[in-house]
Amino acid sequence: MKRKIKVNFFIHAFLMLGAVTFILPLVWMVLTSFKTTAEATSVNPFVIFPSQWMWSNYAKVLEQNDVLLAYVNTIAMMLLRIVCSVSFSAISAYAFARLKFPGRNFLFGIVLFQMMVPVQIFVIPQYLMVDALGARNTIFALLFPGIVSAFGTFLLRQFFMGLPKELEEAAKLDGCSIGQIFFKVMLPLAKSGLVALTIFTALFAFKDLMWPLIVNTSSKAATLSSMLAKIEGAYSVNYPQLMAASVLAIWPMLTLYIVFQRKFIESVSTSGGKL
Amino acid sequence: MLRHTLKKRKYTKIIYNEWRWGYGMAAPTIIGLIILNIIPIFQTIYLSFFKSGDFGKGNIFVGFENYIKMFHDPQVWGATLNTILYTMIVVPVTLILAMIFAVLLNRKMRGKQIYRAIYFIPMAAAPAAITMVWKWLFNNNFGLINKLLSVFGLGAVDWINDPNVALISVAIIGIWSLVGYNMVLLLAGLQEIPKSYYEASSIDGAKPLRQFFFITLPLISPTLFFVIVTSVIQTMQVFDVIYMMVDVTSPAYDRVVSLVYLFYNNSFKYSNKGYGSAIVIFLLAIIMIITASQLKVQKKWVNYM
Amino acid sequence: MVKKSLVLMLAVVLSLAAFSGCGAAQNAEVAETQTQSQQVTEDVSTQSPETGEEVTLTYALWDSNQAVGLRKMADEFEAANPGIKIEIEVSTWSDYWTALEAAATGGDLPDVFWMHSNEIYRYASNGMLMDLTDMIANSDLVSMDNFPQGLVSIYNFEGKQYAVPKDYDTIGLWYNKTMFDEANLDYPDETWTWDDLYTAAKALTKADGSRYGFLAPLNNQEGYYNFVYQNGGTIITADKKSGYDDPKTIEAMEFYLSFVKDGLSPQEYGDAERATWLQNGLCAMGLFGSWNLSGFAANEYMAKNFDVTVLPSSNDGGRASIFNGLGNAIAYNCEHPEEAWKWVEYLGSKEGQLRQAELGIAISAYNGTAEDWVKSNTTFNIQCFIDMVDYAQIRPYSNTTAVWEDKAYEELKGAFTGDKTVEQACKDAAKVMNESLSQE
Repeated sequence: MKRKIKVNFFIHAFLMLGAVTFILPLVWMVLTSFKTTAEATSVNPFVIFPSQWMWSNYAKVLEQNDVLLAYVNTIAMMLLRIVCSVSFSAISAYAFARLKFPGRNFLFGIVLFQMMVPVQIFVIPQYLMVDALGARNTIFALLFPGIVSAFGTFLLRQFFMGLPKELEEAAKLDGCSIGQIFFKVMLPLAKSGLVALTIFTALFAFKDLMWPLIVNTSSKAATLSSMLAKIEGAYSVNYPQLMAASVLAIWPMLTLYIVFQRKFIESVSTSGGKL
Repeated sequence: MLRHTLKKRKYTKIIYNEWRWGYGMAAPTIIGLIILNIIPIFQTIYLSFFKSGDFGKGNIFVGFENYIKMFHDPQVWGATLNTILYTMIVVPVTLILAMIFAVLLNRKMRGKQIYRAIYFIPMAAAPAAITMVWKWLFNNNFGLINKLLSVFGLGAVDWINDPNVALISVAIIGIWSLVGYNMVLLLAGLQEIPKSYYEASSIDGAKPLRQFFFITLPLISPTLFFVIVTSVIQTMQVFDVIYMMVDVTSPAYDRVVSLVYLFYNNSFKYSNKGYGSAIVIFLLAIIMIITASQLKVQKKWVNYM
Repeated sequence: MVKKSLVLMLAVVLSLAAFSGCGAAQNAEVAETQTQSQQVTEDVSTQSPETGEEVTLTYALWDSNQAVGLRKMADEFEAANPGIKIEIEVSTWSDYWTALEAAATGGDLPDVFWMHSNEIYRYASNGMLMDLTDMIANSDLVSMDNFPQGLVSIYNFEGKQYAVPKDYDTIGLWYNKTMFDEANLDYPDETWTWDDLYTAAKALTKADGSRYGFLAPLNNQEGYYNFVYQNGGTIITADKKSGYDDPKTIEAMEFYLSFVKDGLSPQEYGDAERATWLQNGLCAMGLFGSWNLSGFAANEYMAKNFDVTVLPSSNDGGRASIFNGLGNAIAYNCEHPEEAWKWVEYLGSKEGQLRQAELGIAISAYNGTAEDWVKSNTTFNIQCFIDMVDYAQIRPYSNTTAVWEDKAYEELKGAFTGDKTVEQACKDAAKVMNESLSQE
């Protein structure tokens, strides 16, 4: 018993150390967002806490930028990308994981191949496609590169391959079609994979910077990330305001993650493992 | 993999049915990828044989000239070495840390939700905030790390501009930003493992460490394989971290610049798309070789049910 | 139901996308029909009975700080010109050029946009910009005679004018008044020479490394270029050869680097970090361009302790400050050339230039309007930025400036780290720069 307490203490100490390293940028962001510009760049001496809490930094950000519209655009982009890429990835991943058909490996090779190329090369060709569709400065343009996901397909394929085959075979004997097996048997089993992919899709969409900046140049179609980039200014960076905007931008993503995590833990708590 | 070779020439209805479903289900992703990505990749390959004109006009065919120039460019070889070294540092360290965190946070314990939320923060934070924090930590003259070193009587290290150190500094940032991703993925994989497996082995008196190596590791191997393959690909394509920390003016530039960084500079900054394309194709070839060998080796250790 | 509509949506999307991927000719067709149908809808929806057709112009730029003031000007312009709306699109420097390149490739440029000396050649030589020569000739408001000749010539390509100068910037010597007071030194002024700069830097440097007298970073425009031209050297010759191996250039570089070698300046290679030295009281003097003004004024420490003056002259009296300026350009295929010209004309007119100066957006390029800019900021003595125009040198440029600037940096680094002699570094820089120039 004593040994267990000791072990637990070390585990907590270790996790705590990790937590401190990971939370540092957020703490720094919040603190800087309340500083004056001189304090923000002051390193001699270090200014950790602002001498007075400058709420005006937030006021200025809200006044100079349409933050609300950026929220709406970002969330719309995230939802659309989640709906499209998670469903398409799940369907295709199942085919690659379980179904046998000629050329499967070649087609799966295409999926892997896509991931091996740096995303920067896609920007201009995809821009030209969106432009040809006359869809610049729209929500659709934001969705466009994320309609399908090679990453998601590969991820879910691995999840499906890790699932036991017995249930599927039982369903097959019961006379279920392949579609029914996929929807009724396999999809519920891969729930944690689907949640993970949802989180990642949202995250990639949230962090995507170059694409929204280039395809949606109008401020009416800006996302949070592109709004933040523009706040930086070309010749001078107002760090406190930039950090205030970052704090305003980060919470939808964090909330989404926490909500999903919780749902996900509930759903697996009955079958979930422990070490 | 396609063990199911149809030697018997007896195409049953069931097999045809499975084909139909297979093609139908693979189609959305494949068609999307071909249009969005594969066509641009072939355009890039095509472009790598040209001296590119501006705005997609006036390309001049030069055959292998870009490739010949590339293979004589010491900066490209340096960047190749930097990229591989970076991957060799970042991937193993990230994997080990992510695995430890995932296993620990998959236990029943107090506050695990809070930990999970905190570990997610580096991924959601704005790049500008991350850059600012790291620059402030690493700054040679007034950075926090050097201040701490001086407290212990150690000399200052020029984390960003010392050619011998910069790659490690950049790798630290890379590890820091990648651990969370991999932890979330591994955690998802761990949660798929049926609890009954552990219960059975506990009755047999297996210790946690033994359980990890004989139950957890084999059962999570498909996810782990995914994490390794994608981490290697991602780190081989490293750009943002280096771009934000090290500029071309830094004395350490030659020792940290990555292939994607060189490609970006050539294609976007110097408007030399042909040469930039050749660099990308070279990188693609390296990644393909690595990934293909990983796919080969996976049969030896990945345990599909 | 949801599933069905999703499938339908994808089918539509993919077939459209497939269509667009089939070669350039078809692309253009699709684009054409698209714009046509768009125009039809626009015509229907925006036609208002009193004003007739309303035109919306996009105005693309890369600096969010200027966007605020320019929005004000656009509002005033809209009020004076019913029927024209200006939509300002802000981006960041690097993404601006990527987006503009993509837009140019797709034939869908913004109506009016900023141009820079680094990029003008590519855009003008490929016919991406509208030739403004005739419009300028017929205009009562805009004449190229009213702008500094150097700025006008940047945007003149093969005898045709492709942009109207908007503003300019010069480089000043920023100094910490408090530190000068403490050291009992006179503030720098227009009588200063290189020797004065060096002596003062030496007096202000503290031996324990807690303060440097002068900041001499690895930076061209806000650094050694100024010294090179003050000394009568050059970076690029008239016949497009590197000037780095010019003995006068090397001499200036030797002087510039002596600050680093003698411990009067820290070794600084970063761009964003440079100002930190001044802002934290770790450097007493430094060279910074006029575009930093709003950032420096917003910093409480700098506002309180700093001021700015003209650059010192070389010991034999040579003066120079590097200057550069932006221009407003119109897309070659702009659908509303008349309206777009109206906006560009206003921006380049005396009235518009005065307004720009008054609002403190930038130093207006129009001769004589800059005085209003000086009044817009009382924190520092910014008159000096205008005083330097008389002898200012246009930032050296050619068709591929970005390429050889980086190549030169790579070779010059060695002189800062001490791995190479200054002379060697300059000769190496000349060599790579000439190689690069020969491929233009």
